[in-house]
Formats: sequence, C-alpha cells, structure tokens
Amino acid sequence: MQIYLPIAEMSANIMTLIGMGSVVGFMSGMFGVGGGFLMTPLLIFIGIPPAVAVASEANQIVASSVSGGLAHWRRRAVDIRMGLILMSGGVAGSYAGVQLFKLLRALGQVDLLISSSYVIFLSVIGALMLRESLHAIRETRKGRPIRVRRPGQHSWILRLPLRMRFRQSRLYISIIPPLLIGFLVGMLSAIMGVGGGFIMVPAMIYLLRMPTNVVIGTSLFQIIFVTSAVTVLHAVENQTVDIVLAVLLMIGGVIGAQFGAMAGQRLRGEELRALLALIVLGVACKLMLDLVFEPAELFSIQRLEVGP
Amino acid sequence: MKTAVSFLATIALTALCASGGMAQKAHANALVADLSKDQIRVASNFTGEKILLFGAIEGTGPSGASDVVVVVRGPSENFTLRRKKRVAGIWVNAEARTLGPLPGYYAVASTRALADIAPVSERAKHQIGPEYLRFSLLNQTPEAAAPHAGPRDIALYHDSFVRIKSGQNLYSVDPNGVSIIADRLFRAELTLPSGLPFGTYITEFFLFEKGRVVGYQTGELSVAITGLEQWLRVTAHDMPLLYGLFGVFIAGLMGWGVATLFRRV
Repeated sequence: MQIYLPIAEMSANIMTLIGMGSVVGFMSGMFGVGGGFLMTPLLIFIGIPPAVAVASEANQIVASSVSGGLAHWRRRAVDIRMGLILMSGGVAGSYAGVQLFKLLRALGQVDLLISSSYVIFLSVIGALMLRESLHAIRETRKGRPIRVRRPGQHSWILRLPLRMRFRQSRLYISIIPPLLIGFLVGMLSAIMGVGGGFIMVPAMIYLLRMPTNVVIGTSLFQIIFVTSAVTVLHAVENQTVDIVLAVLLMIGGVIGAQFGAMAGQRLRGEELRALLALIVLGVACKLMLDLVFEPAELFSIQRLEVGP
Repeated sequence: MKTAVSFLATIALTALCASGGMAQKAHANALVADLSKDQIRVASNFTGEKILLFGAIEGTGPSGASDVVVVVRGPSENFTLRRKKRVAGIWVNAEARTLGPLPGYYAVASTRALADIAPVSERAKHQIGPEYLRFSLLNQTPEAAAPHAGPRDIALYHDSFVRIKSGQNLYSVDPNGVSIIADRLFRAELTLPSGLPFGTYITEFFLFEKGRVVGYQTGELSVAITGLEQWLRVTAHDMPLLYGLFGVFIAGLMGWGVATLFRRV
C-alpha cells in the first residue's frame, strides 16, 4: 500500500516505512540506543531527500525518547539540573546546526555535510565500540573480571569556573563542560537527525563522571527537548519535516522497541555491543563508498520556487 | 465509450462549425479535443493517475495524411542543476547552473515519430519535444553565476535535466501514444506519475498535415493536493512554527501513550 508523503513529495510504501521503523526500533530496544543514526541513512538509501530524512527523523526521536524517558522519570533516575544545563547547550547547538544546514542547503552541499558527518562519527564510534567489546569478550573467555576504567578523579576541565552542585549525580563541577557537550550534541542532532545518545552517554560517564544509574535517564531527558527544538527549527528554517513520514516511523519504532528489549535480555552485553559495532561500521562503509565511487548520475535537480 | 466520445465530438464540431466565422485562428476548426478529467486530486493514496485525451479531426488531405501531437506541460519553475566532480577523492557538487522557466512536467504523445511528422523548425516553434523547450540561464543563486557558460555547457545541463526528469517519469515522449480511429477520432492515454508538481497544466493538441500545423486547440488541467496532505503542506509553508510544534505535540502524545500502555501491560 502506497502513501503520499506531502513534504518529501513522493509516494512510499507504508509497510516499508513501518517495517524499517520496527527493525530500527527492535535494534534500539535490544541495544539500548536511540536508533536515529541507523534510521536516517536507511531513509536516504530508500530515496527520501536527505534534508527531509534528517528533520523527520528528529521528529520521530521525540516520540521514542518520551516513551523511553518516562520510565526513567518514574524511577527518579533523571538529574534534572544536569539535564537542563545539557539542554541549554543543546538548544543553542541545534540552532547553530540548523543555520549551518540552511546555509549549506542553499549552496547544494547539505547532502555532503550529512554523509561526511555520518562517515566520520559512525566509523569512530563503531571502531571504538568494536575494540572495547572484543576486548571484553576476550577477558570474559579467559575468566578475568572486567575492569571498568575510571582514570583519575576530577580532571582539570571539571574544575573550571562557574561550578554548580548536582545533587542527584553527587557532583560539584563547572557547568562549562556540560554546556559544551550539550552544544556539540545539539549540533549533531540538527545535522544528522540523531538524538546523540551515542556521544552523550560516554561523555557523561567518562568526562562528567556521572553515576551510571542517572546517565540514561538524563540523556533521554535532554534528547526530548533538543530533538523537539531541532524539529521546530527545521520546520521553520527549512520546511523539511514530513509529519506523515515521522508518524509512520513512530508506529514501527514503538512496536519494534518492545520486542527488541525482550530479545536484548537473552543476549550477552559485550556480544550485543560487538554486533551493534559491526552494524554501525557497515553503515559508515556504505556511506563512504557512495562518496568515493563515481555515482551513476552526476547531475541533480533542485526546484527553486517551492509553494504549496 | 467510443460512442460517447464521438457523440461529444460531433456536438463540439457542430458548435464549432456554427461559430466558425468567429474562430480566431483560421485553422481552429480542423480539430476538437477534450480530456477525460480536468482536475487531478492528489490525496494520501495517490500513486499516479491515467488521463484520456481525445477528440476529432477534420483532415483535409488524403486518408492517413494527418498526424496528431498532444503536449501536456506542467507549471513552469526555475531549477538549479548541480554537477558532481571528484574533489580530493570524493564526489561533491562542484558546479551549478540555474535554468528556467521550464515545466516541471512535460509529456508529448504523437501518432508517429516527431521527426517524421514535422521539420525541426516547426517543432522548435511550437516547443514540441523536450529538446525544444525554451528557457534561459538564470543567475539566481550566487554559486550558479556562470559568466563563462557556453552553449555546449548549457546543452549539457539541459540534457541532464531532461534525463533526470525522464527517469522520474515526469518527462516523456511517446511516438505511438496517439491512435487515430477511422481518420476521424483520436485518443491518447497518459499516465501521470506520483511526483507531479502542483498547479495549472496546459494541454495542447496539434493537427499536422505535410509537416505544417493545420489545427490547434489548447486547454487546462489542474493538479492539486487535497485532504490532510494539503492541510499539512499549506501549514508547513505558511505557518511553519505551528507545523513544527504540531509535529512535536504528536510525537510527545505518541511517546506518552506508548509508555503508559506498556506500563499497564
């Protein structure tokens, strides 16, 4: 069954979109990640204009982070003060990201911006994850307990001025690092159509040294607001949010996430991470090859007068 | 169906003959034509639509000497075309030209190959065939300012434009698209694809004899988006802030609904 996507200006198969939403939702439930970094490239692969894919995917992540975040909220596993600081940086970053996106869109370079951001971030994150999980698998096979690396307490960046007490995280640190992390993630969110959890969570654990029990909840808390900001800003500046597309992805996503969470409980953590790392590297590889090999069509068309 | 068509055609012909003296073009009475529908509504289930273009001709030459050419043109717009080049090992958009105005949709159907029906001069005069569409090079975007663009360069961009549009089924040339029945009636079926631009389309019917236009009629066809899709599109363009907030609201509602639902289960 086909459905017309009013902003993407194309018709797509409903079952394909819901199916993609469920597969990515399944993986995000299984691995505990947002899934935006898999969904946006998939949407581009099926022919959705990259600018529409990014903005609509940000809209979908609002839904998945609200449903995920509520569970943590009820368990009080959210550091609201830290979340608000991260969010302030995030909203500023998403504004900057959307402006950059708009500028490069007018110059015809936004597809390159999206692809190259993906190639860089996915290959770095994928490689780090793969290394870490393979190491963990080897250690467990040898029967050694895994040591969690927590080098030196309070690095100099956390001792910068403007310190604030975060009771929930039991921290007294400068607000400059969380603002900067928030800003970076907000920018990535606007450019790549992701929640940014894959950067935010390691940054909170290793840089801000937040206790792991509040990390996921706080990350989701700020993702809700940052992806909402990204959605509104893309709608205002670029008119690229396709609500019909986003809603179909949401439907698939929520169904998939529930089954994914069940499947994830049966698999071992480090093997899951190794699998996810391979998927991430695969997507990065595909995007890179698309940039390196001569495309079949060297020309592209952009309509100048867009009206309803 | 055929009876209905010929009946309509006869009525139309009679009416035309009656007002023949008032016809502005001397040859206008040689051809009458109409469409099966003059409005295409694009709703959520739109995957393309077939339209029938039909009519009757009054050939002056011997049997089989008349040719009919049907042209359908979408609303004109300006397009920026970008050309990828290899820069530092990767393929990036390196060159751009803005062409326009060009129709967003263009289809031509005829009884024979266009080259056999009319000489180049005649086809160029009436813009029959995508290669004869008239447009100019515009400098609307700073990167598209190209003072050094020569005619070969422009032709390359125009050819690429037609090639991409043809790939999307938005440009088409069908040399066997019009069939003539009993030297009197003609019909052409056109399949409009799902990516249609919205606006007013122009339909043109040409009757050719010995390479010259002896009959001509023009009409309109409107393509409009409707229903929820129309509301979303209009809101997205006219009230983008409201549209964005609406998207966030729906997402929030859906996320909350799912969380609440699965908490109870």
